[in-house]
Amino acid sequence: MTEVPEGLNYTKTHEWYKKDGKTATIGITDYAQSQMTDIVYVDLPKVGDKKKAGDVLLTIESVKSAEDVYSPITGTVTAVNDEVVKHPESINKDPYGSWLVKMTIESEGEHLSASEYRKLIQ
Amino acid sequence: MRTVLYDEHAKLNAKFTEFNGWDMPLYYRSIIEEHMAVRRHVGIFDVSHMGDITVKGKDASAFLDHMFPTKVSNLKSGECVYTAFLNEDGLMIDDTIVYRMGEDSYFFVPNAGTTEKIYRWVTDHSKGYDVRIENVSNKISSIALQGPESEDVLKELGFTYPGYFKFQYDNGKYMNPITGKDQIIISGTGYTGEKGVEFIIPNEFAVELWKKLLEAISRRNGLPAGLGARDTLRMEKGMLLSGHDFNEDRDPYEASVSFIVNNDGDFIGKKKLDERRKSDHEIFRGFILSDGIPRNGNLIKADGKRIGTVTSGTISPVLNKGIALGYIDKAYSKENTEVMIEIRSVDHRAVVSRPKIVK
Repeated sequence: MTEVPEGLNYTKTHEWYKKDGKTATIGITDYAQSQMTDIVYVDLPKVGDKKKAGDVLLTIESVKSAEDVYSPITGTVTAVNDEVVKHPESINKDPYGSWLVKMTIESEGEHLSASEYRKLIQ
Repeated sequence: MRTVLYDEHAKLNAKFTEFNGWDMPLYYRSIIEEHMAVRRHVGIFDVSHMGDITVKGKDASAFLDHMFPTKVSNLKSGECVYTAFLNEDGLMIDDTIVYRMGEDSYFFVPNAGTTEKIYRWVTDHSKGYDVRIENVSNKISSIALQGPESEDVLKELGFTYPGYFKFQYDNGKYMNPITGKDQIIISGTGYTGEKGVEFIIPNEFAVELWKKLLEAISRRNGLPAGLGARDTLRMEKGMLLSGHDFNEDRDPYEASVSFIVNNDGDFIGKKKLDERRKSDHEIFRGFILSDGIPRNGNLIKADGKRIGTVTSGTISPVLNKGIALGYIDKAYSKENTEVMIEIRSVDHRAVVSRPKIVK
């Protein structure tokens, strides 16, 4: 039922990221959004912020709880998606279309393939 | 544990959550949509995880008057009342609704997480009283039908609205372990602040009734709703959640349910409760925030000091603002008093409201 598209990298803390050369586009997984319930608020980092893999990257709040989203990579934030701030519910509707942050990749943290991530959330 | 309706929820693609040992639907598609369906139209909830305990026998009235700060023997047959079990210190163990079925016949509905504890509590205190106490929770299912259109749905299905805090019986096909007859119980109660009823029925009837209700509400933009919406609905109306808003640490005065104390007899906790009443310095209130979403455990501050604690918080789907319930120093409890709520190290402005935050 939960979607886990091929071609993306996943983390144990339920982030996905897509590599495009030296840039990573980052979001949260379908499983993560379904656990969180209705997302109502997204607190994004600033462009230029430097993060290490495993650092808190941003915070998402739902009706039920506030959850930290962790950086899957070490690098610098190059873009943030203001659309998800205006329409947080878009993350529930389309978690893989609703990217949150783009970063330059210095190095990647521990990550999983789609099939490994599927096993994790089973 | 699963309720009898588990497969029906699964068919509706419910997202399940564990709640006090029960796998319950947290939501089907969206908490906010379900919340608004109940406020504007109608919704149904599986609340079969709630307990059902019967108390019957010659001394039932005297026994229950001893168990509660509320004089439940004042109820007429077919009436029910909101009250709470107090411990010897006058602190609330659990809140419940007590139903009077007849001269010597009652039942009450404790919360899911406290049913076993409460069953032991009443049984342990029944010595010397001529009563039979039975926990029939596992044989009973409950479905709540809530919202401004609930009475229309009832009529369509051939039922009548029993009235607020009243209940009646309808003929059923299966023996109801509460009444011992082929009956369904329809109670004018709920946990949403909307007009509605709760069906208290034998397990055998649950799937059939759920399907009928689901079909009827679907014609009216109604939705099945999960525990997520149940929680946000009750928070907007300032209704206490046992185990969160109190947990044997608050008395009825602090919890802003002083109306339940109307028993001049000798009930459990009476002596300590009288003493506490004079010394209580915190009271349960609602809070509306300018921004931010409060959560259980957040500190409430004013004049640079801590004045209270949040026990429940969310974003209100009706107000589209953060709201909280919690206990604060009585000196700051007046409506519209400005306070601060600390959420993850940042102070957010809030105003005090009555517990019933959404009118």
